[in-house]
Order: sequence, then C-alpha cells, then structure tokens
Amino acid sequence: MHANEVKMSWEEIVEETRDFLSTEFEVDRSEIIPENSLKDTLDLDSLDYVDLVVLIEENLNVKLTGEDFKEIVTFGDFYRLVRKKLAL
Amino acid sequence: MIVSRESVTAYIPHRAPFIMVDNLLHATQELFETDFFIESSNMLVEEGFFQASGLIENIAQTCALSFGYLGRQEGGEAKIGFIGAVSKLEVFELPPASTTIRTRVSPLHQLGNIYLVKGESFLEGRILLGCEMKIVVAE
Repeated sequence: MHANEVKMSWEEIVEETRDFLSTEFEVDRSEIIPENSLKDTLDLDSLDYVDLVVLIEENLNVKLTGEDFKEIVTFGDFYRLVRKKLAL
Repeated sequence: MIVSRESVTAYIPHRAPFIMVDNLLHATQELFETDFFIESSNMLVEEGFFQASGLIENIAQTCALSFGYLGRQEGGEAKIGFIGAVSKLEVFELPPASTTIRTRVSPLHQLGNIYLVKGESFLEGRILLGCEMKIVVAE
C-alpha cells in the first residue's frame, strides 16, 4: 500500500516499516520496536542511509532529507516523523 | 561540448594514465553525459577490450567531472568525489579498443554529501554496462 493512495494509520506505518526493513536489512521483526535505536538495530553506516531513504520513498512514499535524520534516534521517532509528513 | 578533453584535469583530480573520460557533453542536475575514446594503450584494455572495471571508472569520472563542472558553475570550487559503493551492476558487452563510448549518469537521490546515481555506458547506441553508484562528495 502506498501512502499517497490511502492515508496510513499509525499501525499500518509500523507494520509496513517492519516488513520492508526486516527484509532489506535482514533484521528480525521483533527488534524493530519503537524504543529501539534505528541506527544500531539496522547497523547503519553513512552509505546505508541512502538505501534507507530510497526504501522509505518506495514503500511509504515519504521523502526524507539529511536534516530529517537529525530528529530520528528510535523507530518511534521515525514513525512520528513519517506520520507528520503524511499529514502535511 | 561544455568541457573538452584538454580541460578535464581542471575539474577532476585524476591524471594520466588514469583519465577515463574525454569530453563533457551535458551536465545538469538531472543528467550528466560524456564520451571517451578508448586508446589501445589504455591500461584497462585487455586482449583488445576495455574491461568492466574501466567502464565503472568511466562512470565514476563522469560523475566527478560533472560535479566539478556544476560546482564551478555555482561559483564554488570543483568538488572531489569518491566511489562509496557500486550496486545493481550489469555488464552486457565490453567495447573494443579504438572506439568511442558514450556515458549517461542520472542522479537519483541525495542525502547530504552522498549521491546515489544510475550510470550507463553505450557503444553505437548499444548498452555496455549499467549500475548504481554511491558517490561521496568531499565537503
């Protein structure tokens, strides 16, 4: 489901995110929870963030910038930012 | 042509014999285009064919030249970029020496000083190699 086709609920954002991140970064879904660190859980280096931006745009239809990532520490931060961007 | 082969060293840090790009034909934020005549003496020619490593380097130097040119156009210094990663690599054909290849690069995403680009090289309209590349531009 794309965010521009149907407005996504919080639960849908969380589930969609867990699906594509667990597949692409080979991380167990159980580790993708709001209180966990995005960077540490996905073991991201600076180049991986570009892949993450592409995946987010493809799966959630949300464009994130480098500035956006300054606000994101946990998956919870990420979900809140996505919801905020979808509401704009 | 917007930068000729005689002037490319003003925009890229590479020096002979490792210059793998000739003329900058087009450079906008959306598309870079270069050509390159493959000398038979090129260090990346083996058994008469320019190797895939050369085609990848040609794409990287197309980025370097274009970023350098655009940086100058914006009134700054020519920026230096480095290959961060190569992905989705497909090799279709290797070009023989003494031919001219044409290369097109499209920036797909930018995150800070890291660019994700799609590069393709062609010989007489036939695709030779395609890949995505992450280019880290030094700040």
